[in-house]
Amino acid sequence: MSIASRRRFQLGLLLGPVSAFLAVFFLGPLAIMVVTSFLAPGLYGGVEWTFYPDNFGRILGFADPMFEEFDPIYIAIFLRSVEIAALTVLATLVVCYPAAFCIARLSERWKNFCLFLITLPFFTSLIVRLFVWVLILRQTGLVNEVLLSSGLIERPLDLIYTKGAIILGMTYVFIPFMFMPVYASVEKLDWTLVRASLDLGAGPVRTFWRIILPLTAPGIAGGAVIVFIPALGNFVVPAVLGGAKVMMFGNLIEQQFLAARNWPFGAALAMMVMSVMLVMMIAQVVLSGRRGRAAALAR
Amino acid sequence: MQNSIVRLVEASKAFATPEGGSVTALDRIDLDVRRNEFLTLLGPSGCGKTTLLQAISGFVELDGGSILIDSEDMTDRPPYRRPVNTVFQNYALFPHMTVGENVAYSLEVAGVAKPARREKVASALKMVGLEGMEGRKPRQLSGGQQQRVALARAIIARPKLLLLDEPLSALDKNLRQAMQIELKTLQNELGISFIFVTHDQQEALTMSDRVAVLSGGRIQQLDTPRAIYDHPVNTFVATFIGASNLFEGTLDGDRLMTSDGMAIRHQPCERKISTKATALIRPEQFFLAEDNAPFPTIEVDLDQIVFVGSTFELFGRTAEGRKVVAEVPANRRSLVGAIEQSRKARLAYDPSAVHLIGERGGA
Amino acid sequence: MKIARSLFNGGLIAYTGLFFAFIYIPLVVIAVYSFNANPVNMMTWTGFTTEWYAQVLGFKTKVSESALYIESTGQLLQAVWNSLVIAASTTAIATVFGTAIAIALYRFEFVGQRFYRVVMFMPMLMPDIVLGIALLIFFVSSGIRLGLTTIIIGQCTFLISYVFIVVSARLAGMDRTLEHASADLGANEWMTFRRVVLPQLFPAIVGGALLAFIISMDDLVITYFIAGVDVTTLPMFIFSMLRRGIKPEINAIAVMMLSFSFVVASLGLYLRSRQK
Repeated sequence: MSIASRRRFQLGLLLGPVSAFLAVFFLGPLAIMVVTSFLAPGLYGGVEWTFYPDNFGRILGFADPMFEEFDPIYIAIFLRSVEIAALTVLATLVVCYPAAFCIARLSERWKNFCLFLITLPFFTSLIVRLFVWVLILRQTGLVNEVLLSSGLIERPLDLIYTKGAIILGMTYVFIPFMFMPVYASVEKLDWTLVRASLDLGAGPVRTFWRIILPLTAPGIAGGAVIVFIPALGNFVVPAVLGGAKVMMFGNLIEQQFLAARNWPFGAALAMMVMSVMLVMMIAQVVLSGRRGRAAALAR
Repeated sequence: MQNSIVRLVEASKAFATPEGGSVTALDRIDLDVRRNEFLTLLGPSGCGKTTLLQAISGFVELDGGSILIDSEDMTDRPPYRRPVNTVFQNYALFPHMTVGENVAYSLEVAGVAKPARREKVASALKMVGLEGMEGRKPRQLSGGQQQRVALARAIIARPKLLLLDEPLSALDKNLRQAMQIELKTLQNELGISFIFVTHDQQEALTMSDRVAVLSGGRIQQLDTPRAIYDHPVNTFVATFIGASNLFEGTLDGDRLMTSDGMAIRHQPCERKISTKATALIRPEQFFLAEDNAPFPTIEVDLDQIVFVGSTFELFGRTAEGRKVVAEVPANRRSLVGAIEQSRKARLAYDPSAVHLIGERGGA
Repeated sequence: MKIARSLFNGGLIAYTGLFFAFIYIPLVVIAVYSFNANPVNMMTWTGFTTEWYAQVLGFKTKVSESALYIESTGQLLQAVWNSLVIAASTTAIATVFGTAIAIALYRFEFVGQRFYRVVMFMPMLMPDIVLGIALLIFFVSSGIRLGLTTIIIGQCTFLISYVFIVVSARLAGMDRTLEHASADLGANEWMTFRRVVLPQLFPAIVGGALLAFIISMDDLVITYFIAGVDVTTLPMFIFSMLRRGIKPEINAIAVMMLSFSFVVASLGLYLRSRQK
């Protein structure tokens, strides 16, 4: 056997089974989901094979006018989810940035230790980490216990099942996601640039705004994308910390599939999340492409 | 001291080592930098020259002593409040800004309006020979061009003093020499003092009005290049700048007697120096003597004769085994031819060219 | 000025301390309170006890006489067992597949490499819920019964990506000249792979396997959708308990899961750092 054909055989051996698996069980289901979003829901769950654009219409509030009135509730939930996801991005950024700054300037040993400590919780169960906050925030939880027993308040506070609780929980969960890209950016910062700025007369605050922040922006952008998308489609955190009172888009999708059994609509909702994700990814590619092209032109 | 733009008084700085000890980078240094002078800080790595520079720019805080810039005490002032700008070794150009924005930075910080900024940037770029490059990004420029942008950026706000931290070390030889001339011209044009750090003695000698040779956190000698070369005050300076032949011994009348029996004749000293001294003869002070020349000589066996183009370098050894280096012009081919055959040379010298270095400083 | 600088640095370090406190104190809190004897109000300390742990591990305690408790303990143990079985299976499959793709993409040249790379990164960027429902629709429409098998298949779709990332990072950073030397000395591809590449790759493969294992054990969202009614995994169990009503044993379970994850993760990260 020639070298080329032998290589092809090996490649086929390596790629064949995996590709088949992924095509059938990964790409296939995604494709089916896209198709389903355009189908009509069957009477007892399942689908009917007719083209039914009203799934998407309903998201925007306009469904089949014969049966449903204008209802902006889905838009409202979507916007709320975007708001919560955006606030989570902001919160994780504000929390992580100073810490990343501090850790990037430590000695090698301390750096590795701190990184280890930060990535460790990433490997533990999400549900366990959220459970902790339930215990802390609920009416009989730790915070209320401490405040009540020390006499600072008389009735327990409503901490859990609020938007704030969800944002707190999401921030807690997503800190490792934001930290890594931000830290990578901060660590790569050429400190002589900071010195040059100070040398030329810019004070520390100005140096931060004009030099440090712009140069760490790629890390911040990366972190924002990694946090925003899962936060947007999240349903565990709002389910545990929001209860039935604060619903996010992810809960909506879950509801359609397990309670309401309206799969096409659920699929349409999922498509909406996917499209947001695609828009963000394309934006990132375009932005970094523009930068990359400029750099290539320079050579 | 109105003539000095920078004055350091007993400046001291020590750094902690990772093992737990401490290293003295600046050892009670006193330094007066004159107005409109090109001063070079010269020394091997670790001698404290970069620390000294950073102390002046404000990035190193002194443990003891003070710094005055234009008679104002700047010891406790942060770098952004000192009228001093630095050209960094790696240029430190802001990659996310254009050349124009980089150069305009200090003006922007000072609140200069946009139209005025644009004008000044244009003239600063013209001064460094980069007219019209405002729109480029640093990564689009060559090393030499980046360096000029760094220069333009540092001088545009007319600081009282410019510090240059080994700015030419990343350039290749030809570019380096061209830049040396340009820097010197620029300094003359601007009329502000430049403090230049380098470990390259060639650079120091060519460019400076005065040179400060540093070692171990102390200034060994602060003088014009000529003086440092001809009259080094100690053996460190003597060997650091230029090649040298050193003969240690005791002074006896008009000669220095070495331990291995050599007698080096020298001119009488004006100053009184110690009995024990070292005589310095630069290689180029030797010449190949005609037989009856009335000059003292040193006889050597030649190990190597190296042809360097305009000169021959002779590496030889005395009968006592002492190494001697001599440099003779290549136009005395006949003489050189003779010694090439015999592998022996009689190196003659003029006693007035011998420089004596006493135990604590020279004559 | 000196004072300002030290204040700033001190402040930064203090902040970082708070940062870590924020991350870890809640975990410490439940660890401490898992020994709280109070069966009703978990955050009011009444005394020290290990009975919740005993309860979870199946030992008889004062509380276990109640039938309700026995039932949920049984369910719990079943859930743990399911999780372990699933994790073991998915780890095996995903490690093989993920390594295969990594080798194919980093040691071969072919058309469509970019496409494979995109596909590998998709599960990371996608919200899990999207993948979960896509799989649900797929399985049900194809008539496949939901259960352990579907969970295993579904988890593999994204675990392959995780293994891929770990192994391909190692492959990309490997010194190719060693392989060239091996070939130069007469070894064929299989031998070079076996004796030169594989030993270097091994820690990364193990690291990827550990990562897959942990993520499989902890996975909630995707498993939730494709588990069907008969099968429960540990995360699902805790999730449903949280929604129905919290029992003190959850504390003990949570602490045990955390400890387990910590140990395995530390092992994985330690191996990764060794290989550097």
